[in-house]
Amino acid sequence: MSLQSLDPRVNRLHLPENPSEPVAKTELDQLETYEVFHQKKENAAYTYVGPVHAPNEEVAFLFGKEQYSRRFACTGMWVAETRHVMVTPYTDEAVSVYDVIRINQENAMENGEKTAEAYEIFHLKKRGKAHAHVGTVTATSYEGALAEAKKQFGEMKPVVNVWVIKAADVFRSEADDKDIWNTTKDKMYREATAYRVMDKITKFKEEQAAK
Amino acid sequence: MYGGGNIFEATKFDDLTTEDPVKLAEFEARIARGEKIEPNDWMPELYRKQLIRMIEQHAHSEIIGALPEGTWITRAPGFRRKMAQMAKVQDEVGHAQLLYSAAETLGKSREAMLTDLINGKSKYSNVFNYPALTWADSNTISWLIDAGAIVNQMANAKGSYGPYCRALDRICAEEAFHLKYGHDAVVHLATGTPKQREMIQAALNRWWPPIMTFFGPSDKMSTHTETLVRWKVKMATNDECRQQFLDMYVPKIWELGLTVPDPKLHKNADGVWEYTEPDWVEFKEVINGNGPCNKERLAVRRSAEENGAWVRRALLSPKAKYVKPLA
Repeated sequence: MSLQSLDPRVNRLHLPENPSEPVAKTELDQLETYEVFHQKKENAAYTYVGPVHAPNEEVAFLFGKEQYSRRFACTGMWVAETRHVMVTPYTDEAVSVYDVIRINQENAMENGEKTAEAYEIFHLKKRGKAHAHVGTVTATSYEGALAEAKKQFGEMKPVVNVWVIKAADVFRSEADDKDIWNTTKDKMYREATAYRVMDKITKFKEEQAAK
Repeated sequence: MYGGGNIFEATKFDDLTTEDPVKLAEFEARIARGEKIEPNDWMPELYRKQLIRMIEQHAHSEIIGALPEGTWITRAPGFRRKMAQMAKVQDEVGHAQLLYSAAETLGKSREAMLTDLINGKSKYSNVFNYPALTWADSNTISWLIDAGAIVNQMANAKGSYGPYCRALDRICAEEAFHLKYGHDAVVHLATGTPKQREMIQAALNRWWPPIMTFFGPSDKMSTHTETLVRWKVKMATNDECRQQFLDMYVPKIWELGLTVPDPKLHKNADGVWEYTEPDWVEFKEVINGNGPCNKERLAVRRSAEENGAWVRRALLSPKAKYVKPLA
């Protein structure tokens, strides 16, 4: 006997009525995590929106688009693998993280053997809010990038936490593709403003009163 | 939407004497100052365990809650309603994604949460163990269960855990559409033909008892509850949420000329709603697996997991390494 439902789609699955114990899922069954940043409008700073699980950055980008731009205005998106994000400690809100972190000058120093590259810097201004992009620095290591960020953005307050990501590790939407962020007019059914409930209720009440 | 009614049971972590007193004091001071807790901060085990449990149950409620409404996508009357119903269900599944990630930051993997859902170890909102018998039932869920969820989520969004607050802010914004959509669908039936009115009244009669249990039984005011209130894990008592829901929505039901199947229901002069105590014996029975749809909900969820496994396996890169999400 298979499981009977009022939903014909469920009946077509022929699910067993008494299933066996499920097998525990293995690690990474839901794939790796990526962190997603969106741009709310042209020229606004890219802001953290949340993670997605995905097998690679292209799919992470698609999932990020579905998850984070489907219902909100968006003009661009960045994704980066979680493990490529260097995170500083979190501080109390009264203290700037740049004032408490100790940067190892030796590691941070320009290293002749390594070529300098671009790093993206993100600040968290308040706990519970989202990290926002403040700028790009050039350095030869994460620590060097953080030292450079302290020079350039250390005066911005408050800063309770900093994320540093190599610019090369950020997968970005293309300016040429900006049409993908447009919502077509025929999707108004998913906006609260498309439902004029009060008009219907008022009309109903008037009709009732007239009876 | 959300399964309300968190029942916070005492755990073996209740004993805070094993926690570092200095760190505990710093943690409590941070919450008292109104600052949020972020994933890498020190936190007591009790805080971590209760939050994982609460956020995980919330996430499960979102994906299981998509099933009774999902049932009606293919049979929704008209193309526009099909599209709107689909958009709503897609939102709910998206909410689950946000919430699983928030719970993951506390150290429980998504795999472990999904396994615990399927094997029945972790719960989801009990109301989804009842069937959506007609289109009107689906509309009742869209309006009133989502309304209850919003009451709960608005309260929780002011809680102390950063990742949960971020997820809830986004979820609450999306719920505005759900509430309007559900209300509109109910109003359409209630102001329609006698047959349509009959349908929506019957659905409301079926759903009222589960809705009244939605926020859970009255909280037992113990030191345990007090701790969770102080830590801003529990933001409102179950009774406070129920009262707020009744206050906001019973008048909206009545103005449509519909009745609520509870002869005791009325608002006292002091503004407090009186109602027949929900059937907590049935609530327990259903939560323990003996409701009309428990088996089906888990079986459907499980088949979705199993049938999608080959896709996830095919996509997995040998270089992949699990790191929990950052925030």
